[in-house]
Amino acid sequence: MTKPNNATHQASFRDPSGYMFHDGDTLRRVINPIYFPQYRKLTDSGFYQTLIKKGLLIGHEETSSSEEKIVITPEHIPFITNPYEWSFEQFKHAALLTLQIQKYALSKGFILKDASAYNVTFHKGKAVFIDTLSFDFYEENTPWRAYKQFITHFFGPLVLAKYHGTEILKMLQTHIDGLPVQLIASLLPGKTKLSSTLYTNIHLLAKLESKHSEDYKAETKVASLSKKAQNNILTNLFNFIKKLKLNEASEWGDYYEKTNYDDAALEAKKQLIREWVPALNTKTLIDMGGNDGTFARTVLDQVEDVIVTDIDSNAVGYNYHQTQQNGETNMLPFVCDVLQPAPGIGFNNTERSSLIERLQEYAPDMTMALALIHHITLSGNVPFLKSAEFFAKFCNYLIIEFPKREDSWVESLLVRKREFINHFDFYNESDFEAGYLEYFTMEKKEAISGTNRILYLLKVKQ
Amino acid sequence: MIVQGIVAFAAGVLLFSKNAMYKVKAFFGLLKEEDDTYDSIDIDEEDTETNDETE
Repeated sequence: MTKPNNATHQASFRDPSGYMFHDGDTLRRVINPIYFPQYRKLTDSGFYQTLIKKGLLIGHEETSSSEEKIVITPEHIPFITNPYEWSFEQFKHAALLTLQIQKYALSKGFILKDASAYNVTFHKGKAVFIDTLSFDFYEENTPWRAYKQFITHFFGPLVLAKYHGTEILKMLQTHIDGLPVQLIASLLPGKTKLSSTLYTNIHLLAKLESKHSEDYKAETKVASLSKKAQNNILTNLFNFIKKLKLNEASEWGDYYEKTNYDDAALEAKKQLIREWVPALNTKTLIDMGGNDGTFARTVLDQVEDVIVTDIDSNAVGYNYHQTQQNGETNMLPFVCDVLQPAPGIGFNNTERSSLIERLQEYAPDMTMALALIHHITLSGNVPFLKSAEFFAKFCNYLIIEFPKREDSWVESLLVRKREFINHFDFYNESDFEAGYLEYFTMEKKEAISGTNRILYLLKVKQ
Repeated sequence: MIVQGIVAFAAGVLLFSKNAMYKVKAFFGLLKEEDDTYDSIDIDEEDTETNDETE
């Protein structure tokens, strides 16, 4: 979906240093004269270049330069994920990256002027910093002015997730400026006051904040903090976050042991995917409800860009862990509940795009929805026509798996309907086809041998 | 009962051996770190050719 020419990016209005705009399909960044001294110094000193070469900062090239503005063109990122869509490990890596960059900046006479979690996204298998204009000059003995933002955007949510599970990370969807420190402190168990790191960085901060909450005159003293002390704080936070583990985390792996088909059936399904996906010259693929990426991985070497989403944060975490272990650069996992896709949030509801908007912009060549429709239909009570409408919004081709009523998973979902089981008589092959063929044409249909499931290849009607 | 016993015994052995191996490995420093990128807060500049002149 092409944006109107020269349209300012909706998330790019808070920073007076510059803004992003759409130049046709290309996203560019304008730098205002107020930021010229910083930009020149960051460029000439090789600061940008070092971070870009290390893969920590998104690369850019200078497109034009005049007295009124400098235009740079950042490397294209196919799909932007937001913090509330990350697994715990992804969130941890984004936090660690921010601290690494701040410490490096400090050693070179710069600082990160903000530490928003939205300055990081995942690209080529790794966390990458995407706000090129987030740096400023360091003034000797000044504390890190983005420290509190780091706590509310990264440290607080991570520590809360440790004690309350990954669902807490979704709170960032309703708190675009991070979770309030007092809320974080109140949700943490009392024993966390015994930890020197948690006490100083959260509980004490919350106490100070409540003490100064009625300070309308803003007559705050300018605090002083040596560079060495700031480095110690950064290192302490880094080491603490690195060791953070989820209390709820189960052992990773063996997700497919819970499924109801044997190895031969699993292989038959993989074989169909291996045949159908490359045959259509697929360059971009999204597997919705793709669990730990098992099926998407069967075609990973043949597709340029693969996205796998799942509702289960632990499955997404396991998938991300595999991408790190295998050094996969074309696999992007993130958390997504198909029944409740991420909405547009922030000012005007447009600062962070909704999932559907981002999917429409991404416009994947191929979408896969394997072992998902029975959950959408029977757990979410979404009629076939409505789910077909959802997929048709962004799909080109759709591979969808339909488990028949005889499938053990479907039987179990139907049993849970108890006296209303008859209300779901529509869950059958012909009604499924009738609903989906309103929006799609059928290209292929194959029974998966050894199962009560059918695999369809559908093409959206233009 | 016998099958249950065997399964419980096997699970016990597996659990104990995993734990014991971890401790032995940790004692000899054989545990490998998984995240190389986030091993240290310090960015290694050795393999970049840039010349940072700031400071």
